[in-house]
Amino acid sequence: MPIKSTQSAVKVRPIRKVLIANRGEIALRILRACREKGIATVAVYSDADRAALHVLHADEAYRLGPAPARESYLRGGLILEIARKTGTDAIHPGYGFLSENADFAEACEKAGVIFIGPPASAMRKLGSKTMARQAADAAGMPRVPGSVKGLASIEEAHTVARQIGYPVMLKAAAGGGGKGMRAVTADSELAEAYTSASSEAERAFGSGEIYLEKLILQPRHIEIQLIADHHGHCLYLGERECSVQRRHQKVIEEAPSAVVGEELRRRMGEAAVKLALGAGYTNAGTIEFLLDAEENFYFLEMNTRLQVEHPVTELITGLDLVHLQLAIAEGRPLPIAQKDVHLRGHAIECRIYAEDPDNNFFPSPGLITKLIQPGGPGLREDCAVYEGWRVPLDYDPMLSKLIAYAPTREMAIDRMLCALEEYVIGGIATNINFFRRILTDPDFRSAKIDTGYLDRLLAKPQATEAGAEAVPIAALAAALFEAAAAPATSTSVVSAYGSEWKTAARKESLRE
Amino acid sequence: MNGRTRRIELPADLSGPVHCSIDGELKQIDVHLLEPGVLSLVINGHAYRCILDEGPAGRAVLLDGKRFVYALDDPRSLRSRRGAAADAGGPRPIKAPMPGRVVRILASAGDVVEAQQGILVIEAMKMQNEMKSPKTGRVVRIAVAVGDTVQAGQVLAVID
Repeated sequence: MPIKSTQSAVKVRPIRKVLIANRGEIALRILRACREKGIATVAVYSDADRAALHVLHADEAYRLGPAPARESYLRGGLILEIARKTGTDAIHPGYGFLSENADFAEACEKAGVIFIGPPASAMRKLGSKTMARQAADAAGMPRVPGSVKGLASIEEAHTVARQIGYPVMLKAAAGGGGKGMRAVTADSELAEAYTSASSEAERAFGSGEIYLEKLILQPRHIEIQLIADHHGHCLYLGERECSVQRRHQKVIEEAPSAVVGEELRRRMGEAAVKLALGAGYTNAGTIEFLLDAEENFYFLEMNTRLQVEHPVTELITGLDLVHLQLAIAEGRPLPIAQKDVHLRGHAIECRIYAEDPDNNFFPSPGLITKLIQPGGPGLREDCAVYEGWRVPLDYDPMLSKLIAYAPTREMAIDRMLCALEEYVIGGIATNINFFRRILTDPDFRSAKIDTGYLDRLLAKPQATEAGAEAVPIAALAAALFEAAAAPATSTSVVSAYGSEWKTAARKESLRE
Repeated sequence: MNGRTRRIELPADLSGPVHCSIDGELKQIDVHLLEPGVLSLVINGHAYRCILDEGPAGRAVLLDGKRFVYALDDPRSLRSRRGAAADAGGPRPIKAPMPGRVVRILASAGDVVEAQQGILVIEAMKMQNEMKSPKTGRVVRIAVAVGDTVQAGQVLAVID
């Protein structure tokens, strides 16, 4: 689409070679976008990732160091040195690792290497929670009301709580992980909650400092995708709903949100654009909000990078965010305007993790002995594992992102259910089957979700799965597998745990 | 399934249409092994895709998106029953459920601990997981040190 050309001093600087300072599916996704544009790629890897797919598909590859991230993917100095040595024009940081490290972005700028992301100055303004709150206040962005600093006394807690109105949430200033947090619904409960939260925080974090915020009941996590160029254009590319979370980790994301209408989308989008433009933000970024039942939205934080869940936005907008990132980094103006952004259909993403839902979601690194990926229309998979790949224990347990796209939300959910049924990852435990529980849950299907939804679902007793008729078939299959794996003899018994074959009886019996 | 034992009888030649018996019931089955660990069965016109999943935790058949864990059982062996009996009392090990690194040790040999009390913390894939005591008792020994890399199934501590 032709764009209005703006008078701007920004010169276009073509990118011919990109170093991808990341690993896993995002490194591969960025690498593919570069290849599509004819841009040469440089991969970096740790010792645990020598056989990873991002190394296999890159034009050049350089070792960073041992497996721990501190000794490999977080070595900004070494990565810049490799960039210089290889004649790299630009570094794409992906997400995690160095992606939100303003010092690294600044070091790239100083070294004359393009950092594919916002300038260090904008990252500093919007990336830190406290600075971002100030910027949000300055931009007139609504925030969850509460005390900005720690409370000095129980009396102050009473005063602030009455000002903002109950219910309120007490939180440890140094906190995290739910420690030192108490929900308070009335004045009479406050003193006791304050004392216990403070002593819990003292024990957990060595500081009993407590602050207080209005408790947003059953909030939804809604985030706005932004994309901004160096010519003063910033667009919002609709929202994503990421309310299905466990331990503050997103599990399912979708776009659009079932509860965000055009008017609310416009209000949230324009507020997000205003904040970004005010801070001189460029490239891709996301502003996260809490949304309450009355359609009030509250600023949560900004992520100054490409996000894990960006594919759902790509599918409903028809845009390629990494291509746009590259073009923006070259200094080109955005090829579209806000009026050209149209949302079409519905996309859902499931994050496939190497973790065991039947065993407290313990991580399960290890060898992938079997991989059968689903197919069919409307499916996308961003994945960087393969049969024979050993999932290292040093990094995030995400194996793959499976994304279903369809004309409606209901169709997208059903498409995802079928895809998950086809999907096989053998050798390690994964959460593939766990998604079935969510996607068939009536509350999820009718979009009655909020950030506490998954915890409530997990607390419910699990219905025993139907499928008793499949048991004899499974038992038969097990016997056939054992027979196929064993030396050809018709007269064998397989023993319980030793698995040595004996040539006595004619029968195999299976205990499942 | 769920502790139930099933008897399966198979013929010597396992390709194409064969007769098998499941708990004494004879079925005609068309068997096709696509590749090691991937099996197609057609029974009375119904098609099934069965996949063998082998991991450190044991073996399972994946069928219709469900997982059926199994163990082969020799009826003459009492090993499994003896294993079950050992669980009832006596010293109990805490084993690593996954490979990882020991980041903290919360109890020492000789300590009296409650059931579900944290004994040590293992980190894997950016997550810390507290290993809890399986019973109320005394710590017999801690078998690892902070910083150790451990394998799945490795004994970390013993509680009696």
